[in-house]
Amino acid sequence: MDEDAKLMSKVLVLESDPSCFDRLKVFCEKNDLSGLTVQPDNAMAVMRSNVDLGGIFLSENYDSKVRGGLLMARKIHTLRPELPIFLRRDSSPTFDGITEDERMTLSAVFTIEDIDSLRPKLDEYIFSRSYPNDLVRGIAEITVAALASQFKDLEVEVAAPYIVRDRLIYGEIFTLIPLETGWCRGYMMMQTEEIGLLGLVKGDKTHMRPDEAFDFRNLNGLLGEITNLVWGAFKNRYMAYGHQSTSASQVPLVINHLHRYISFGSDNPQLCFKYTVVDKSNPALVPLVMYQKFVFNLSWSPQDFAENQTSVEDLVSSGELDLF
Amino acid sequence: MAQILVVDDSSTVRNEVGDFLKASGLTVSFAIDGADGLVKLKADPAIKLILCDVNMPNMDGLTMSEKVRSELKNSAVNIIMLTTENSPVMKERGKAAGIKGWIVKPFKGDAVIATFKKLVGA
Repeated sequence: MDEDAKLMSKVLVLESDPSCFDRLKVFCEKNDLSGLTVQPDNAMAVMRSNVDLGGIFLSENYDSKVRGGLLMARKIHTLRPELPIFLRRDSSPTFDGITEDERMTLSAVFTIEDIDSLRPKLDEYIFSRSYPNDLVRGIAEITVAALASQFKDLEVEVAAPYIVRDRLIYGEIFTLIPLETGWCRGYMMMQTEEIGLLGLVKGDKTHMRPDEAFDFRNLNGLLGEITNLVWGAFKNRYMAYGHQSTSASQVPLVINHLHRYISFGSDNPQLCFKYTVVDKSNPALVPLVMYQKFVFNLSWSPQDFAENQTSVEDLVSSGELDLF
Repeated sequence: MAQILVVDDSSTVRNEVGDFLKASGLTVSFAIDGADGLVKLKADPAIKLILCDVNMPNMDGLTMSEKVRSELKNSAVNIIMLTTENSPVMKERGKAAGIKGWIVKPFKGDAVIATFKKLVGA
């Protein structure tokens, strides 16, 4: 059985008591959380802007207002109900004095003294899925190779993968493609901003002609081919040859363009990778940032995870001609 | 009249492969899916080599290859698949349709151009 990958998740920390910062920082580091802090008057703007969050740590008297945190929790929950909110209280780690309506916005309460007791709640609300190490490593390898093949003389950097709970769409262009193996069914999304692709096409850093950049459909095609390459390599590595789909189940995907929001019909976390394509010889060129998300919303059986074993006879490198 | 027909729904791939082949001195025509590929081949039976993707809308590459043989009765044109697929099952189906070879993307022109030229008699 493959080891599970150690994944991080980003959490927004809305805390106004400086004496709690150190303890929160230590807790985050110990529990694979990357904490992001913002000023109170920026908090809602950050909520709207997509920073791929896994959850929110919020103090009850946030912004130095009595019960300010509960008011903030209501606002956050209205805007981003998929994000778990963990409320720090001064009094006790219970819901005493919190109304039923307020309780519905919260996933858990804690005090700074007993913050370690929050770990099971993190597993329940953020890290509710584990991912095999070989899968996580393999996805990054496949995708870096696919990106490198499409961009000339550029470097591809991949950040440590993380767990995401939010549902916001990054950028203006995204692709969506179904994934199915014997141990998973779901989707892969690739999201990016048009400006990054535009710069690379105009700068003759792709296989497209620079003058093709004027037509956005060509940019769509480039992202489409990247998605195709990743999807194909994923299938070749992880889908058993001859696998036949045994399930006809589907759920509608919902995209709300106004709110840049996509739902896969479940609360499952998303496995997220961030790639940056840079031209180290030309710092003026805007780096291309691409987010890749895996949502295994239809089925997930990591205990059955397996990679295809390739025989020596079948080993033909990509790009080489296998003549029959 | 073209020597090579490139069949792929991705304009990125058509550009990349087409530009490389033209720069290598070959004449190229294009199709956007298997159905279009059949139309283009029927209109230009002098085509000697087809480079064809598998996963395309309207008609996939393996179905197109089968129809090239069965419906167009063209057993002479060489067909090479250029695809992300690497499944033995698909390759067997391709062999049964009389395809000449298989390339797993991404395309690396330098590795294959000599063979392509030989197949088109250049």
